[in-house]
Amino acid sequence: MSEEEMERIAEAEERWQREVLEPRVKRFKIEKSPTRFYTPTASRDFDFMEKVGFPGQYPFTAGNNPFDFWRAHAEAAAKLGMRPDAPGGGAGAGRYSGYGTPEDYRDYQLRMQSLGSRGGPNVAFDLVTQCGYDSDSPNALGEVGRVGVALDSFRDFQIIYEAFTGERDIDKVASNFTINAPAAVIIAMYAALAEKRGIPLEVLRGTPQNDILKEFIARGTYIFPPGPSMRLFRDTLVFCRKHLPKLNVTSIGGYHIREAGATRIQDLAFSLAIGCTYLQAGVDAGLDIDDFAPMVTFNAFGGSMELYHEVAFQRAARRMWARLVKERFGATNPRGMMIRQPIGAHIGCTSTTLQRPLNNLARAVVGGVASGMVGALPAVYPPFDEPLGLGHGLEAIQLQVDATRILIYEAGVANVNDPWAGSYFMESLTDETEAAAQWEFDKIDGMGGVVAAIESGYMQRAIAKSAYERQKRIESQEELMVGVNCFTGEKEFEVKVERVEDELYDPGQMATAEERQCAKLAEIRRERDGKAVSRALGVLETSARDEGANLMSDLIDCVKSEATIQEISDVLRGVFGEAEPVKL
Amino acid sequence: MSSDRKVRVLVAKPGLDGHDRGARVVAYGLRDAGFEVIYTGLRQSPEQIATAAVQEDVDVIGLSVLSGAHLALTRKVIETLGTLGGADIPILIGGLIPEGDKPALREMGVAEVFTAGTPISSIASFIESRISNA
Repeated sequence: MSEEEMERIAEAEERWQREVLEPRVKRFKIEKSPTRFYTPTASRDFDFMEKVGFPGQYPFTAGNNPFDFWRAHAEAAAKLGMRPDAPGGGAGAGRYSGYGTPEDYRDYQLRMQSLGSRGGPNVAFDLVTQCGYDSDSPNALGEVGRVGVALDSFRDFQIIYEAFTGERDIDKVASNFTINAPAAVIIAMYAALAEKRGIPLEVLRGTPQNDILKEFIARGTYIFPPGPSMRLFRDTLVFCRKHLPKLNVTSIGGYHIREAGATRIQDLAFSLAIGCTYLQAGVDAGLDIDDFAPMVTFNAFGGSMELYHEVAFQRAARRMWARLVKERFGATNPRGMMIRQPIGAHIGCTSTTLQRPLNNLARAVVGGVASGMVGALPAVYPPFDEPLGLGHGLEAIQLQVDATRILIYEAGVANVNDPWAGSYFMESLTDETEAAAQWEFDKIDGMGGVVAAIESGYMQRAIAKSAYERQKRIESQEELMVGVNCFTGEKEFEVKVERVEDELYDPGQMATAEERQCAKLAEIRRERDGKAVSRALGVLETSARDEGANLMSDLIDCVKSEATIQEISDVLRGVFGEAEPVKL
Repeated sequence: MSSDRKVRVLVAKPGLDGHDRGARVVAYGLRDAGFEVIYTGLRQSPEQIATAAVQEDVDVIGLSVLSGAHLALTRKVIETLGTLGGADIPILIGGLIPEGDKPALREMGVAEVFTAGTPISSIASFIESRISNA
């Protein structure tokens, strides 16, 4: 657009404000206009090739691909009744799940397979396992088998995988492990299992979450201080590149940071800064950025009800990550520049409400629309019963999957790549998001990077403050939530939700999980070769003291000796120390 | 209770659950509402929480649990408080508490359960009325 043309529009805009907008604001007796209209003046130096480009090409603002596998075959899948549209999986693994003992979880997997589940396990571990304790630890009280499956030793790992043999053996399906601090131990178990089954390590696929840095900022399942935690990360990265080349190394989780209270900008800046810290660890270990950056994936990030902002967020995130990988790390392989994540935009579970919970379906659809608009599966997530604390019911999951299908097949949400490209409004919002996040990113750089910013408590305090600011906005009705701080009167009809289908997770099994798991653990301790365990743990300790040593082969030996998660973690606690929780 | 002393609240995260957004927000909110707030940080054992409550002579304890371990952990906190002479300290529970577990918590002696969406002002008024009636 010529300078002249731009000036003409700017003048017209000013006139419109004076002659149309302001009188209307006056007429309705309000302070300022509740709406905004965007013109080309909002993004004067917009350069399409620099800011957007084409789907599948740098800087990936318009998407990683013109279309994904699921979209290529979506219509055929609908006619055949196949389910490529079921959200929650990713990278060939099934729905995120886990509860009770490994036996309970194995049987659950078999039941899901009989209901049509394909794919490998996408494992949620209980907090005891995630924090590096055994089921019989005093710290485990009440937590065994609660938020995920309990796992103490390699024997437990093998029990889970009894549901994955033959057609579903680990050379055919991928596995996801939502675990961070002990991720190295779980990867060691995966390798030991392959060895036991005579499957070459190089065919193993999957994604360990292995994103320890965000645990210090959100979610809280850290064990060791940030420095030694990064050493463990490095060891998994180097080991995987050498021996498990098809295993993604990490799944960086921005949405946890957002859910813990971070603003959108903090979430974006912190997540990308964390990603850069992992990339730097690989570079420092002598790896080739073009070889390993493609194995660094993202979990969802972002998450709110603000549809437009979530779209801008995803666009800005893709562009920023691509630039960082290319310019900061000198990468040339485009695959390493993409944000690969199982879902796109979403509302975030903290947007769901306990009040009139069926409304959460309406809320999640907004996230699905946003996701479709940023080139991802228009996944409606989470199921409406998320905040009830009972696990997702089959009815809620059916409605969630159907809503996703309605967006795909009836609304055609996923038929256009980056439908917002070139919008004066969206390009300006994307620029604003990027600039603000870049400022925060640079601030962390200035502090000496993520590890330093965690050690000083900056990140933890920053998001706690943001969470409190949001709460104040909700309590003052500056931010409105339907059924929570407005429309709560007696004239509203209380829509009751009844869950009729059986629980997916048997509450009876969960209640007895601790007892059964502890009995089995005692049996393992009796049966195993105690001397072999001590020997393996001794070697691990010696290696841990040598910062340059890679611990993975020692961890595999520990696992094979049936040393428990806590025994292994305790050795490392002795060498690395333990992370201190941040106070107010 | 003498009138010159602020009401003292212990906000605690028992067990291994790391979701502390709610606990921190409530701690900030109660502090701004004029209470003296002690926040324990993550991963406190029931024994540590009960001991801190008695040693710090708090007027009320707020426990936040989102992992599903609320029944076992609350029971243990109450048991330990009993042995330390703190049985009269009222306990409030927040977090992800299924509706069906509320009666069991009340049965144990929990004063009130506050779930998602509760304004901090409601928690503050509950504490004030509870303390002034004590």
